[in-house]
Amino acid sequence: MHYSFDIERGNFTDAGHASASVKRTLKQLNVEPASIKRIVVALYEAEINAVAHAYGGKIDVEIDPEKIVMIVADEGPGIPNVDLAMTEGWSTASPKVREMGFGAGMGLPNIKKNTDELKIDTKIGVGTTLTMTVYLNA
Amino acid sequence: MAQETYFHHSLKINDYLCTGCSSCIRACPTAALRIRDGKVILSDNKCVDCGECMRTCPSRAIYVKQDDFQLMDNYKYRVALVPVTFIAQFENRYKTKEIYSCLRELGFTHIYEVEHGTKFLAKLYRKYMAEHPEIRTFISPYCPAVIRLIQVRFPSLVDNIIPLKSPLDVAARVILHELMTEGARRESIGIFYVTPCAAKIASVKSPVSGQDTCIAGVINMDFLYNKVKLLLKNASKDAVPVNHSLTGKDILWPVTGGESALFSESSFAVDGLSNVIEFLENLEDENIDVPGLVEMRICDQSCMGGPLTVNNRFVARNRLEKRAMLVDRVLRIRKEKPTLEYPEFTEDLAKQLVIPAIKPRSMMKLSDDFSTAFRMAEEMKRLEKALPGINCSACGAPTCAAFAEDVVRGEADIDGCVFADIRNNPPDALRKVWGERLDNSNTTTK
Ligand SMILES: Nc1ncnc2c1ncn2[C@@H]1O[C@H](COP(=O)(O)OP(=O)(O)OP(=O)(O)O)[C@@H](O)[C@H]1O
Ligand code: SF4
Ligand code: SF4
Ligand SMILES: [Mg+2]
Repeated sequence: MHYSFDIERGNFTDAGHASASVKRTLKQLNVEPASIKRIVVALYEAEINAVAHAYGGKIDVEIDPEKIVMIVADEGPGIPNVDLAMTEGWSTASPKVREMGFGAGMGLPNIKKNTDELKIDTKIGVGTTLTMTVYLNA
Repeated sequence: MAQETYFHHSLKINDYLCTGCSSCIRACPTAALRIRDGKVILSDNKCVDCGECMRTCPSRAIYVKQDDFQLMDNYKYRVALVPVTFIAQFENRYKTKEIYSCLRELGFTHIYEVEHGTKFLAKLYRKYMAEHPEIRTFISPYCPAVIRLIQVRFPSLVDNIIPLKSPLDVAARVILHELMTEGARRESIGIFYVTPCAAKIASVKSPVSGQDTCIAGVINMDFLYNKVKLLLKNASKDAVPVNHSLTGKDILWPVTGGESALFSESSFAVDGLSNVIEFLENLEDENIDVPGLVEMRICDQSCMGGPLTVNNRFVARNRLEKRAMLVDRVLRIRKEKPTLEYPEFTEDLAKQLVIPAIKPRSMMKLSDDFSTAFRMAEEMKRLEKALPGINCSACGAPTCAAFAEDVVRGEADIDGCVFADIRNNPPDALRKVWGERLDNSNTTTK
């Protein structure tokens, strides 16, 4: 089953829309609440990053009987040093973003923690693509 | 559909009055209602007794069935267990004692106010919270409609609910204890609870805990209001003995914010159906952080807005706020401190108030078997795309999505969609209204 959503630059208030719709399907599939929570948290963090640090993008979610794969692709500055970005507490969030309550540098580490597989493809000046996989009912 | 019924419902539909207008089916937060044979029907396991359908019905076809008032005659000790919400239904010119004297005239031998048990309960909440540091957000168990909503729609949050019974359960047990200490036999005591809502009835008749609630019968608040109103003109002005006096805080418990005020400063209240749903969604997604107790009530203005109340909910609230202020002033002047102490009984009481487990009862899952559920979800998604998405309810379901679900569950036929046949060639008048929406090839992916 495939879902796709657009991410709009700077639109923090609309973020979370994608996870709501994915959540409904996961509940219908009777996926255990703990897994749903992990999926929703990872998707939300990735979406917020695309809103906060890039110029928007696209979410593609594919659910099959074994797993859910969430691809969040943005157009943006890219991440110069992925290892550094993955460090807890490291953030380049602008003061404006921090004012919104984001910018603790916990997003990517949180995604890592909540997914079974995480792949980050990033190109300076072009954009970043996160591919997140969570196995269902494993 | 041979399914185990988890929930008792006192909510009934009067087929004679129901016009099948479908207002209620769209108001229901759990999609528990459908139209069949031109009348509305209710799915017992989905309904959470919020009363929203009742409020919405323009024909007054949805009502709450109550126990026979005459049931009272079977008991020597006839106890009216009255929430302060009842007093709030009357204009200020009628004093509490006048209202209670009418209850005596109606045949009750004892009058107890439900809320005298709230202090004791709050203490137990605090104890539970202290013993569970791993839980960050605690949800109050007070409103039974909220508990059921969480069970069927937000099963991941059941562990956030404090597993304790309500002030009503405290009061009922204290009454039994007191009367039996005075020498009354258990069978001769009938406790009658005056309810502001269907949810409380359901929680008395089929408690989450599955344990006895000690209540002999439930009386609807609007029904009793009418009976009392008739007697009030000639009501006696003499004081009526009421067992245990309340403090201002007790009185405010059923009002929005009255319960959460007793806890840490990060505790607060959420009332009203749509507010509660939005809050639970946020809590489930963990995009809000609430370290404390959340008081959550299905009705706007909490029990003041209960479906069986009669007075305007804001006026009702104001009456209780005034009463709370007055009571506290008197207590201050008299330097009194009403307490509820039953040394030899409290420990046992505390044990009886624990709910062993609040189980998730997800009504969203399509099947227990994952691959079957997956196939059904796929089929549903395909159907949703094929349906016009205008939620007309002509099929008897609240939304096109709910209809798609009914079809994959085998509870409805796809031909029940009036657009199934005409979408390739809709009449001009319809095309004018819906434009390209009716065009089958134009369904958008979302
Ligand atoms: N999609 C992205 N495009 C460009 N840079 C990014 C992107 N995602 C993350 N980054 C960079 O990685 C840093 C760390 O990201 P992370 O999500 O861990 O923290 P944050 O977004 O700064 O704060 P928080 O997620 O706690 O609100 C960001 O500050 C930013 O510099
Ligand atoms: S009481 Fe609430 S949940 Fe039950 S059928 Fe009515 S609207 Fe739906
Ligand atoms: S808020 Fe009060 S009246 Fe309304 S459903 Fe809940 S307990 Fe009943
Ligand atoms: Mg982030």
